[in-house]
Amino acid sequence: MSDRYFISDSDLRGLAADLLGAGTEVIAPVATDICQSPSAIAATACTLDHSLVDIDYRALTSADELDLDRGLPQLSLKGYFLPEHEALCSWKQKGTTIEVEEVPTEFAARVVLAAKPCDAAALEVVDKVMNWDYKDELWNGRREATTIVNLTCPMIDDSCFCTAVGTAPDDVKGADGLLTPVAGGYVYEPATDKGRALIEGNKARFSGDVEADTLGREADDERAASRRRVAANLEIDAESVRDWIDTHFEDPLLSQLAIRCNGCGACTSVCPTCHCFDIVDEQEGVGHGTRRRCWDTCQAPTFTLHASGHNPRDDQHVRYRQRINHKFAIYPLKFGEVLCTGCGRCTRVCHAGQDLVEILQAIDIAARRPGDADPAAAEPEEAAS
Amino acid sequence: MTDTATAPVYTGVDDLRRIARELLEAGDVRVIIGWEAARRGARPVFVSDPAETDKLIFDTRCVHNLVTYLNPRRDHVAELGKIALVVKGCDVKAVAGLLRESQLGRADVVLIGVRCGGVLEENELPAALALTPETVAPRCYGCDNREPTLTDHLVGEPQPEPPRPVMTIDERVAALDGQPLEERWAFWTEQFGKCVRCYACRQVCPLCICEQCIVEKTRPQWIESSAHPRGNLSWNVTRAIHLAGRCVDCGECERFCPVGIPLSLLNRKLQDIVRERYDYTVSDDPENAAPIGDYRLDDQQEFIK
Repeated sequence: MSDRYFISDSDLRGLAADLLGAGTEVIAPVATDICQSPSAIAATACTLDHSLVDIDYRALTSADELDLDRGLPQLSLKGYFLPEHEALCSWKQKGTTIEVEEVPTEFAARVVLAAKPCDAAALEVVDKVMNWDYKDELWNGRREATTIVNLTCPMIDDSCFCTAVGTAPDDVKGADGLLTPVAGGYVYEPATDKGRALIEGNKARFSGDVEADTLGREADDERAASRRRVAANLEIDAESVRDWIDTHFEDPLLSQLAIRCNGCGACTSVCPTCHCFDIVDEQEGVGHGTRRRCWDTCQAPTFTLHASGHNPRDDQHVRYRQRINHKFAIYPLKFGEVLCTGCGRCTRVCHAGQDLVEILQAIDIAARRPGDADPAAAEPEEAAS
Repeated sequence: MTDTATAPVYTGVDDLRRIARELLEAGDVRVIIGWEAARRGARPVFVSDPAETDKLIFDTRCVHNLVTYLNPRRDHVAELGKIALVVKGCDVKAVAGLLRESQLGRADVVLIGVRCGGVLEENELPAALALTPETVAPRCYGCDNREPTLTDHLVGEPQPEPPRPVMTIDERVAALDGQPLEERWAFWTEQFGKCVRCYACRQVCPLCICEQCIVEKTRPQWIESSAHPRGNLSWNVTRAIHLAGRCVDCGECERFCPVGIPLSLLNRKLQDIVRERYDYTVSDDPENAAPIGDYRLDDQQEFIK
């Protein structure tokens, strides 16, 4: 018997209520109606689609806010593990001595319900760099304290490509369990001890009689259909893309693909795997202040500006190449994983039209082209097409 | 009624493509920057091959203010060589801004003007849509630049006025102004609370031209880079005030904001203040110096106490 449980719609809501009642923080996608917003854009969009909402991962104040049928949250789960800004320590100067106060690195247990599989997978990918030379206590502390339950994703739109980068819309990578919608509720499949502990602690909410040929099959079919839908968006050979990028640092294709980029960095903010940060000391009064780390972006010139004034990445197309290189070559070569989970947020958020689906396709084509290293050999093929 | 309306056909696209091809063939310019239709809708395109000028389009999805690519901070665009830029009438205001502030020489760029009757709020659409009160970009309301000036080439037929949006930007500003101070404070606190400090607003702005932005200065640090309420308020207010009397209302900052902060309300309010205090309106006249870069003996200065 596989380790599968059924939880009804009302029991899932009840589970959230029980957790909240016990004082556990529960994070889940929450929809906010923006139709009343004075924002010209928001309100105009609202008049086009009366159901238009902002979706964000939020700490629930009530189980009623749980809304599992919505799309992709604007920002990924990243901020719950690497906040936009967080204190690392604070200091106080007293006479000639300086007192440094560290921040706590242990966190209260919390549960994420209905995480997008691409967002949870991103956490496991980033775990690698957070535990490479230095063990990041704040990241690890939050990871250990958090139980993540994924919800099989039906696919958002044609900018989704998780299946092309080694994950899937029904993956449990980085998560502790998976919910898949079936008639009347969900099939829950725990994947880790934390995922099983959720059942142990809330037994009345789950029933163990998921029959393989009924509910089990329904869940399997749903998962397979979802994978097929996403796979139709993009298919690449991630290994040859990696090797092509690694060996074509100066290839004009990479600068051509970056030409319209404004260097705005919105893509890195919304990216679930972009994890670079800057450390700043903020003086908060005479003799005291806080050291914080804040999200940084490789798309900003200051990211690599040296104290000498020299900047090794002083052009936007070079900075864009770095983003592609880091995600699809440097990180895979170092850690064995692509630094992208195909959520498509970067593409959706880019109003200049930088389209990662198209860019990966173009690199994949270049990587598959025989004799690419020898331009003369590639020409006859082009002439024939 | 609006459902059956069809998208206006902006004439002159054939002329646009022909002019672009001739400019490239003659070697007058090295690259044309205009719009193309791509997988997710209209987007900027850089054409350097005369054979590819048929990529160029102009329809109601051509929302982008491409003048941002003339910004002197864009080294990688400048490296391409002389540019011919496709501009709507409103975009010319940003060109005038760069000329006014000596960031661009008029001979450095060829301007191909397109007569426009308004654009959509949203460019990421598979096909051009009709302009209705629901779909039109609110900034198009009251457009006074349907006949682009400063251009070297001008294509298309004169277009009718864009429709009035469901709610104009001025009406939104007035609605907000009508709220008590505490409510307005709460509104902006919430909006700025969303800011993740990506600086997309600055990067996409055609007139954010500083070589080093004040937010990047660390000795001393004027604006905290942390996305906490203090840092976010300082950043967003400073950005807006630095654009007072310079902002051309293209709305690109708001459109690019990944978390949906309604920056156009702040920008419009500042334009109103500049108009009231200095009798100055941003225009497409490059000689018309903005108050931020101009001193007059009769400037109001009762605030200096």
